[in-house]
Amino acid sequence: MSIFVPMQDQAVSVSELTYVIKGLLEEGIGDVLVSGEISNFKQHSSGHRYFTLKDADAQIGAVMWRTRSLTFRPEDGMRVLVRGRLSVYPPQGKYQIDVSAMRPEGVGDLHRAFEQLREALRARGLFDADRKTAIPRRPRSVGIATSQTGAALQDMLSTINRRYPLLDVVFRPTLVQGDGAADDIAKAIIELDAAKLDVIIIGRGGGSLEDLWSFNTEVVAMAIANARTPIISAVGHETDVTISDFVADVRAETPTAAAVLVTPITVDDLLEALDERMLGMTSIVRTRIDDMLETAESFVDGRAARRVTERVHLRQQRIDELVSRTSRGIQQHTNRMRQHVEHMTQYLTSLHPLAPLRRGYAVVERNGVVLGPNDHVQPGDTLVVQRFLESSTVEVRTTAPPTILPPTSKHHGNEGENSNT
Amino acid sequence: MATKAKTQTLEDKLKRLEEVAALLDRGDASIDEQLAMYEEGMRLAQECRTYLEEAELKVRRLSGEPDESDD
Repeated sequence: MSIFVPMQDQAVSVSELTYVIKGLLEEGIGDVLVSGEISNFKQHSSGHRYFTLKDADAQIGAVMWRTRSLTFRPEDGMRVLVRGRLSVYPPQGKYQIDVSAMRPEGVGDLHRAFEQLREALRARGLFDADRKTAIPRRPRSVGIATSQTGAALQDMLSTINRRYPLLDVVFRPTLVQGDGAADDIAKAIIELDAAKLDVIIIGRGGGSLEDLWSFNTEVVAMAIANARTPIISAVGHETDVTISDFVADVRAETPTAAAVLVTPITVDDLLEALDERMLGMTSIVRTRIDDMLETAESFVDGRAARRVTERVHLRQQRIDELVSRTSRGIQQHTNRMRQHVEHMTQYLTSLHPLAPLRRGYAVVERNGVVLGPNDHVQPGDTLVVQRFLESSTVEVRTTAPPTILPPTSKHHGNEGENSNT
Repeated sequence: MATKAKTQTLEDKLKRLEEVAALLDRGDASIDEQLAMYEEGMRLAQECRTYLEEAELKVRRLSGEPDESDD
């Protein structure tokens, strides 16, 4: 039907006229975004809200059905921004705005709404300390809900990449401001919670109180409160505080700070620990080899000494190979070790020796340690007897005082002797 | 890249490394056993180092809008 009324002789009914008006307004104007002041606010027992939106010169009726969620408690005199559709109510010949979303517009009103919601949620215990879940000591996975195009995402990813790129990152792009943002953030939280990650970060970069408003909504607060996964709220700059900060398990001052919180142990920490571990192991083995060298030193036999130092050398070389690709600290350590071994070898070969092993004497080891003259063996001990051409493993049956006495040695008072001169 | 780390995770390797280091530290093995442990420990440590140094951040994307990280 044409929307033009034939203004001629033929009369139309009130209904017909109203129907045309309805068409003109609802199709011709349709969706509106209106800013104004609330007056005559009434919440009917049915849950629907009726009010008037006005400014200095005009007013318009508004209705907001119960099913439309409100993030604050409207009061007369509050300046609000309303989104809705223009509609006509034929029984009363009234036009009004069918409100789909509304939020406070003035900074003062935003603050008032913020306080309202904060007190309401506090009263429901949503900020209680015993509701908070700790972030794991070393998270393996993190879910991030933020804008795909925002700087916050880049800040977080580059921080995580620098500190601990092994972290499993699951990114759920969300709207962070404007219509539908609060619902989208809430949905993202529910989805990430279902993904069973170690921790979730929700956030965005800085902005005005209005920009951050999605994080001051009940729907987001409830999603955070109902999630099982620990949640970090990282909204805006240091000074920005939102409702989500109160409900979340942890508040981070910035998205970057949140990224640091989920990477408490960095790759550098681990590398350092590995270096320390390698140094520690090297030093244990080095000490062991030093002991062997000391024992070798107590031989006066050049060949025996050489045999031992050769073995030491072989092992030393193996150690060198192992540490050769590692950190500078270990290499320096190894260089000192090598010099030490070379020095010792030179010293040993410079001695003028006899050849006790060649003459049938033996070196006795227990658990890889050469026994000195003051070491005692017990029945049942397993010993390794090193002779010139072979080594045998033996078990001690009995022990008794020596049956041959060592000759009075002309040797230089060294107690660590193992061979008779 | 870090493909051989698939069979044994970094966690496994770090754990084994701690075990080896503790055994080595006890000092009751023979020198040859100690060297074998040392060798294993150093190999593990080196593998962990390489893995850590080569690690690159991977981001999985959960639903949201369709387009893929173009900006």
